[in-house]
Amino acid sequence: MINRRKFIKNGSIAAAATALSIDSIDALANGGIRKLTILHTNDVHSQIEPFAMDGSRNQGLGGVARRAFLIKKIRAEQQHVLLLDAGDIFQGTPYFNLYGGELEIKLMSEMGYDAATMGNHDFDNGVEGFYKQLPHAKFPILVSNYDFSDTIMHQSTKPYQIFNKGGLKIGVFGIGIELKGLVGEKNYGNTIYLDPVQKANEVAGLLKNEHKCDLIICLSHLGYKYSDRKVSDQTLAQNNDHIDLIIGGHTHTFMAKPQDVKNRSGKLTTINQVGFAGINLGRIDYYFESYRGKKSLTSSPYMISDQLDAV
Amino acid sequence: MHTFIPLKTLSFILGPLLLYSCSSNYHLVKSNRTEYAVTKEVKADSSIIRTYQPYKLKLDSQMNVILGYSENLLEKKMTGGESVLGDFFSDAALAEARKTDPQIDFTMPSTNGGLRNDLPSGAITLANVFQLMPFENELIVFEIKGTEVQSLLDYIARTGGQPVSGLKMKIVAGKPAAVIINGQPFDQTKNYHVLTSDYIAGGADGISCFKKPVASKVLNLKIRDALISYIKETQARGEKISTKLDGRITHD
Repeated sequence: MINRRKFIKNGSIAAAATALSIDSIDALANGGIRKLTILHTNDVHSQIEPFAMDGSRNQGLGGVARRAFLIKKIRAEQQHVLLLDAGDIFQGTPYFNLYGGELEIKLMSEMGYDAATMGNHDFDNGVEGFYKQLPHAKFPILVSNYDFSDTIMHQSTKPYQIFNKGGLKIGVFGIGIELKGLVGEKNYGNTIYLDPVQKANEVAGLLKNEHKCDLIICLSHLGYKYSDRKVSDQTLAQNNDHIDLIIGGHTHTFMAKPQDVKNRSGKLTTINQVGFAGINLGRIDYYFESYRGKKSLTSSPYMISDQLDAV
Repeated sequence: MHTFIPLKTLSFILGPLLLYSCSSNYHLVKSNRTEYAVTKEVKADSSIIRTYQPYKLKLDSQMNVILGYSENLLEKKMTGGESVLGDFFSDAALAEARKTDPQIDFTMPSTNGGLRNDLPSGAITLANVFQLMPFENELIVFEIKGTEVQSLLDYIARTGGQPVSGLKMKIVAGKPAAVIINGQPFDQTKNYHVLTSDYIAGGADGISCFKKPVASKVLNLKIRDALISYIKETQARGEKISTKLDGRITHD
């Protein structure tokens, strides 16, 4: 991990110069608006093909090829896109039973996923079963509250990743659900579950204060909401300071629209989840204004709309 | 690594960089949200189909095999404390497991949440069974004390009924009542042979009654394989699956 002091001390002129993209020079010069498009899925559960036309509730819906078409189209229209998944990539169709998740991960790589976190079902073939498919992943697996040190996955995941998009720094991290009682003991093995709220605050604080991220996104497999005291995305949203967006999963919740929760520091943490099985693709466009030339640096509430802007 | 950059340009670039690296450069002014429904109206990306086609062909050839037939839809929708699917699932697991261990008193092979998909009326394919039971869990027989059975019965009652076979009970005010196990009234002083999965035995959903058994026996039988055998054997007898609700768990 690079801390900032170390960067200033060791960062050579060349490194600093290459860190500046054309876009950021442009932004510094003009102080324009920056736009970032987030696309997201959760609980795709090995739904490679659309649901079969068998009279079931979701017949004919979903399918990776259609999702890929949408993603390509949006990427062609938008300069800065992040494609993210909130876990439970595995399990649900015979594709997983027969191929162990290889195809799911390959297709996500082909669609250009930027990051994903792990759901409980991603342990269904054990820690080893997930590890085995990682060579097919061209995107990082982000989990900050599972300690894999004493497992084969000790070097396979990262707590967070920072993406640089047109001068914007976007910090993305992952939070997993408690495994005990949910996943077979032999499947999670020596994985240690750490307090999700505490860990999320630690990582989000680091991304905000140390890495100066402009936007902080949590990929969460905690679940949207529970009737008991079980920790959920609601709990996390209310008890954090720096998370802008929680992309949720696990509870297969179809939300009419994203929920905006006032967090501990009085700012908004947005929760969104798009059902399951790739029936929907979520999209949030964020607009940022440069501070340059602005006197006030206090963050006023931002505008929220349920429609995209005309291009 | 080192690129030659004139000193003048450098100071121009580095000046603002050092200033602005101290804080976030941008602040959020707007967010627009939408959602795309992935329906048949959306075109399919052909390169993705090319990637999965070989996997699909191999899978289809294996999974479209018809194992047998059902007279009715086997659905997981709960009626009282039971579902047709839960009854079928548990009866099949018990019947297949009793072939190797006739001593089994009753079974709770899964929780309701473990039944992942309905089985259709008519032809049942291998794919259907995989969708119902995608997990690799196996069946284990535990001999446990009556007090441990009581805690399992309490769990079943508290959660409004779970898939069982060899067990009849009423749920009265969230508690088990009139419990009949293997045709006999439940006796808390007796030990029972209970068939369940390695998943439940491992503490799924907070169930802890299998943690300290008197004895246990691994049957080397996966639940899915038990279901497949049961459907195939029904078909081999020239019969159809015909599971109906039978009131094995009722409310109040």
